[in-house]
Amino acid sequence: MRLKPTGILLLVLFVVAVLLPLGLDPRGNWLRVMGTVMIFAAAAQAWNIMGGLANQVSLGHAAFFGIGAYVSTLLYINFGISPWIGMLIGALVAAGAGALICLPTLRLTGHYFALATLAFAEVCRVIANSWSSVTGGPVGLTIPFAGDAPMLFQFRSTVPYYYIILALLVVVSLVFWRIQVGAFGYRLRALRETPEAASVVGVNVFRTKMIATMISAALTALCGTVFVQFTFFFDPDSVFSLTTISIRLAMIAIVGGLGTLIGPIIGALFLLPLEEVAITLLSSQASGVAQLAFGVVLIAAILIEPRGLVALGPWIMRRLKGGQPSAPSDMTAKGETNV
Amino acid sequence: MLDVQGLSGGYGGIDVLHDVSISVEAGETVTILGANTAGKSSLMRAISGLLPRVSGRITFIGADLSAQAAHDIPGLGIAHVPEGRHVFKEMSVEQNLMCGAYCARDRGDARARLDVVFDLFPRLMERRKQAAGSMSGGEQQMVAIGRAMMSDPSLILMDEPSLGLAPIVVDSVHEAMGRINALGVAILLVEQNAVMALSVARRGYVLESGRLVLSGDAAALRDDPGVKRAYLGV
Repeated sequence: MRLKPTGILLLVLFVVAVLLPLGLDPRGNWLRVMGTVMIFAAAAQAWNIMGGLANQVSLGHAAFFGIGAYVSTLLYINFGISPWIGMLIGALVAAGAGALICLPTLRLTGHYFALATLAFAEVCRVIANSWSSVTGGPVGLTIPFAGDAPMLFQFRSTVPYYYIILALLVVVSLVFWRIQVGAFGYRLRALRETPEAASVVGVNVFRTKMIATMISAALTALCGTVFVQFTFFFDPDSVFSLTTISIRLAMIAIVGGLGTLIGPIIGALFLLPLEEVAITLLSSQASGVAQLAFGVVLIAAILIEPRGLVALGPWIMRRLKGGQPSAPSDMTAKGETNV
Repeated sequence: MLDVQGLSGGYGGIDVLHDVSISVEAGETVTILGANTAGKSSLMRAISGLLPRVSGRITFIGADLSAQAAHDIPGLGIAHVPEGRHVFKEMSVEQNLMCGAYCARDRGDARARLDVVFDLFPRLMERRKQAAGSMSGGEQQMVAIGRAMMSDPSLILMDEPSLGLAPIVVDSVHEAMGRINALGVAILLVEQNAVMALSVARRGYVLESGRLVLSGDAAALRDDPGVKRAYLGV
């Protein structure tokens, strides 16, 4: 099997990610930043199964992210169940929630679907805020510190978290890749392009979308659990957030490259550090300037290359090979070229 | 083989079909003529399970189709070539065809079916790695018909296969229909191009405003003064 350029790039990124903690201060901020980048890459990859492969653009993935966070943490605090197990239960609950929202919303497409998912996540946020007896309400939840306790998903150092997050990213990406190249991926692509033709060749449109939603939701919930184990504290507004979770996941996948394996990884590597830099440099100027600058960069990125940063790949390759503009590669099908 | 009795139905509160009864025998080519909005496509969609609301009875080799979901119909042996082709543009020709074999009754046969389709349309063999969306209208029509053939159907519904195609391409689609029919596949054909339709079909029906107004042998329809005036332009 011949490795394509994106395959090589993924391999290089993986090796760099594995070696990175050797070169970074284990107590420093950079390792934490990279951990955060990878959590969001993983969650955006999970989002990409729905938004990219099935073209069901969700603006409510915070719902699943938050469900993962709350289920594992509440099970730990109230029943002493290890977050390792709670994480899986959270994934199941999120898959169930995903199936539930499919029933009324899957006949919706485009903006209507996006708005319906957005509303669902907002409902989750309101419930988590007001149901104080269970969720702790707006005060949020703090995960009781247990020291170095691998069985309880707790470590003193950042390094174990870093590798767990890397493993999570690899797992979610493998699931995405398996779906993309398999029969299920063909069904999703068929219904994304033309649902009617998909159903007359025998694709059960409703069931296919629902399974994609459930897988996407479950994987997003895993990211939610890992995220809060990493941060130790969260409240409804942070894990069910429209801007810092739902829209961010969609943004990472779209700016990186919708429906591609490497897109969310590139997107997260580009957007999150950019956001950090914007906040560090500009937040002292006036409140909101950082977000404004970040927004401007985003709009510029989408205007320059609407297919996402991955679309710049072939251009870079040509430059590396000596600048000779090659024939348009669009003559072959996307399935053959896109990774 | 296909038997439609007293079919009415439509979208939302509006009926576009009123008490339509047609039949197609095994191996036969039958055409449905009618102006735009006469309900021809809706009739095809009703058979494929894509019309939201239907009443009446549709049976196919004894099976009641009205109880089936759209995605179960191809498994029974009915393939649909939708109006406007609806190929999967981002997929290659071969991937499009393989999607058609998705519910072939015998999946192991997909490769053999591929040969049948490449035999029908050698052009698709040459272009099998090309993205379907980058092909000409005629080639996309071949992909759509080929995709339908991949499920090894006993009846194929063709909705306006010559729409928007150059005359020379219309001829080749026309000729392909003859060869598909020769393989023993029955064809139910909806066409604006009545001359072409009546030359390939053995029998025909004429729909007007969702009602069946005329039926008979292709030769008889060709000679009918009303059909001549309305659809043949003579």
